[in-house]
Amino acid sequence: MSVTNMCADLQRGLGELFSCAPHGEFQCIRTPYLYPDGDNIDLFVKANGDVASVSDLGETLRWLRTQTVSPRRSPKQNALIADACLTHGVELYKGMLLARCRPGDSLAEVTLRVAQACLRVSDLWFTFRTRAVESVTDEVADFLMERQFSFEHGAKLLGRSGRGWTVDFHVRVPAQSSLVYVLSTGSRSAARSVAEHVLAAWYDLSHLAAGPEALRFVSLFDDTADVWTPEDFRLVEPLSAVTRWSQPDEFAQVLAEAA
Amino acid sequence: MALTQTEFEAMLNDATKCIVGDIAWQMDEDHSPCLDFRAEVLSGSGWPLFVRGSLNPLIPALSYMLILKTEGRVYGLDMGKDHHNPQCQQVGECHKHRWTEQLRDKEAYVPVDIAASPAQPVDVWLQFCAEAGIDHRGRMLPPPPQTGELFL
Repeated sequence: MSVTNMCADLQRGLGELFSCAPHGEFQCIRTPYLYPDGDNIDLFVKANGDVASVSDLGETLRWLRTQTVSPRRSPKQNALIADACLTHGVELYKGMLLARCRPGDSLAEVTLRVAQACLRVSDLWFTFRTRAVESVTDEVADFLMERQFSFEHGAKLLGRSGRGWTVDFHVRVPAQSSLVYVLSTGSRSAARSVAEHVLAAWYDLSHLAAGPEALRFVSLFDDTADVWTPEDFRLVEPLSAVTRWSQPDEFAQVLAEAA
Repeated sequence: MALTQTEFEAMLNDATKCIVGDIAWQMDEDHSPCLDFRAEVLSGSGWPLFVRGSLNPLIPALSYMLILKTEGRVYGLDMGKDHHNPQCQQVGECHKHRWTEQLRDKEAYVPVDIAASPAQPVDVWLQFCAEAGIDHRGRMLPPPPQTGELFL
């Protein structure tokens, strides 16, 4: 195949990858692009006078919502969506990705812009925690940054026994600094040993909770998975403030308040 | 610890799975034309499961997903949009995802047990629950009608 033939073949073939058919009050464009699980990305066009709107009708964010355990998107995810919209010149309106095709515009170009935005936005799926890209500890770090807490991630501290412990966060606020362990597991059978590990750490580090610069101990349970029993909470409660990741505002309040 | 095929099959075949209470469709976080609901799934084995429903009445497109909190979607029904399998076949606009160790939830198939259309979300719900082995001790309220101009 010559280079000229290749280009002609490409020109013919690319157009054929997009199909268009009436769909109620819209024209439905089936694109060759796929959401990360393999579902097709469809776009919908509706004309109003000289202007046509090309939209996903909210399908991309609907698809994202059906893939996640989180009830809401994080501020970081919303910022990534806004960035994708900016890059491709696409408007996010009532959960729909859309762009106008004005007189003189190419419908093909507008369609590709919206389709690319759908791809970029749906790729947020790769940041979901169940896809093992981001852990709950990463989410907590994002949260601390958003709330403008000064913190050290993965603080290494020496226990009274001589054993070293890696605490998830050392958070410094004007009133009193805190050490934070994030308790997270997807398995009920592992939940108890996680709580026991944190209990041992707080006990061995208890010398840091005394004196004029006493540190406050905070146990943050990732309760997005229903794996914890009341006994797990009670195990660490005598030595630490117990907080839940489902209630991030309370977690922030515990960090911020004075001793 | 990663989910295994044996665990998944045990979870799906667990006949004690149930949802207690009525289900009402709600506006989503974007105030889009779509409607959502989330319902916790209880079971004797204690799997951390919930069902998420999602409806786009403009298309109409309907999804019911069984989500394992530690894994993501493990079982689900999609209606109103086509799916492309990793083997490069198009499956069709009514398809189900069933988790496997090899492909997770990426492979879909055409279900034989869904006779209702995506415009009948309550009927589809009953059919979905029957095959997923979920006893819904309550009723699903029909979605509220859409009002207002869309975007033009």
